[in-house]
Amino acid sequence: MTAVLVTLSLAVILLAVLVVGLLRSHADILRSLHQLGVGEDVEHTHTSTSTPQPRLNADAPADIAGQTLRGSTVHIGVSGIDTRTLLAFLSTGCSACIGLWEDLAADPTGGIAGVRLVVVAKSREDESQSRLEELAPSGVTLVQSTEAWQDYGVPVTPYFVLVDGSTGTTVGEGSAPSWGQVRSLIVQATGDRAAVERQEFEVDTGEIKADAELRRSGIGPGHASLYPENAPIEGNQ
Amino acid sequence: MRMESHGIDVDVPQGWDGEIYRRSPEEVGGETLPVMHLANFPLPAERGDFGSGAVEMMRSDSVLIALAEFGPESVGTALFSREGFPLVDAEDFAPDQMQRPMAGQSGAQYFFTENGRTFCLYVALGSHSRRRELVPEVNQLLETVRVTLS
Repeated sequence: MTAVLVTLSLAVILLAVLVVGLLRSHADILRSLHQLGVGEDVEHTHTSTSTPQPRLNADAPADIAGQTLRGSTVHIGVSGIDTRTLLAFLSTGCSACIGLWEDLAADPTGGIAGVRLVVVAKSREDESQSRLEELAPSGVTLVQSTEAWQDYGVPVTPYFVLVDGSTGTTVGEGSAPSWGQVRSLIVQATGDRAAVERQEFEVDTGEIKADAELRRSGIGPGHASLYPENAPIEGNQ
Repeated sequence: MRMESHGIDVDVPQGWDGEIYRRSPEEVGGETLPVMHLANFPLPAERGDFGSGAVEMMRSDSVLIALAEFGPESVGTALFSREGFPLVDAEDFAPDQMQRPMAGQSGAQYFFTENGRTFCLYVALGSHSRRRELVPEVNQLLETVRVTLS
């Protein structure tokens, strides 16, 4: 009987140690998430830079329809125009967006040249209007449209989508916590798109790809190796 | 895509910008009347009711349409005696019709009454010499504008 009691006591102590260990581990995880900004916001936030692949769907990116901060009805054209538009999906409930909002107050372009910047917040019923009025700088095109968030399938906040209006395509998209990193995303996305187009071109035109490889090997038009004296002649073998 | 507000609605073509807002009252407590802007180029966030701040960004193929409502005191006056929403005519455009003259650009304005509401329609083109090419595009859009009773 004593042996059973001792065994049970040891088991209880062991389990208690395990539970305490698990609770500590859980607390560490929560602390780490808190430091990353997750859990402070209603919605999921994302603080690292990431560049998903360009969308493959053939549909042209949708124009943005919604309301301005002063309540007027607005429509922003993004496809079918000779302009590149950067859609910045920002929210009032996103701690990772604070720096982006503050930097926009200093520079309404976000330091991004040659691209039209449009900030897209959620609709009035989904945002804190008073907070948005505090954060949104004048001189920035801002549209409130939850529908646009759904149309573009915004997965995290902040999120950026670069649209080429002349081709009606999404050039790139991703999340970044600073305008400097957004600029990097744009450069990367533009480079990725150029590489994809180059690859598609070479696949479509096999002869050009073969010519390019021969040229890289030092074999150009008229090169002797292209005309071997003992080459078999088709039909004479 | 249909855009509607303040009893004005319009079919905004893909790629165009548009906004319907209430302009600031001229005096404290004054009435705020609607203004609609449509443009085939990106409209800046800050601009005047008749497009100042935007016309400076127009290229030769650009079009800006501004529709501004006037108060009920204007109903029945000579200026607004024209009944019905107008379409524009290339012959009406002139560089000196611009709210703010810009080199090469052209403008035209029309005052009219529609459904008991008085309006000024102002259209600016990026190039006077391309007015015959641009006017059909303007009229195609104007034909979709609907103004409901005040």
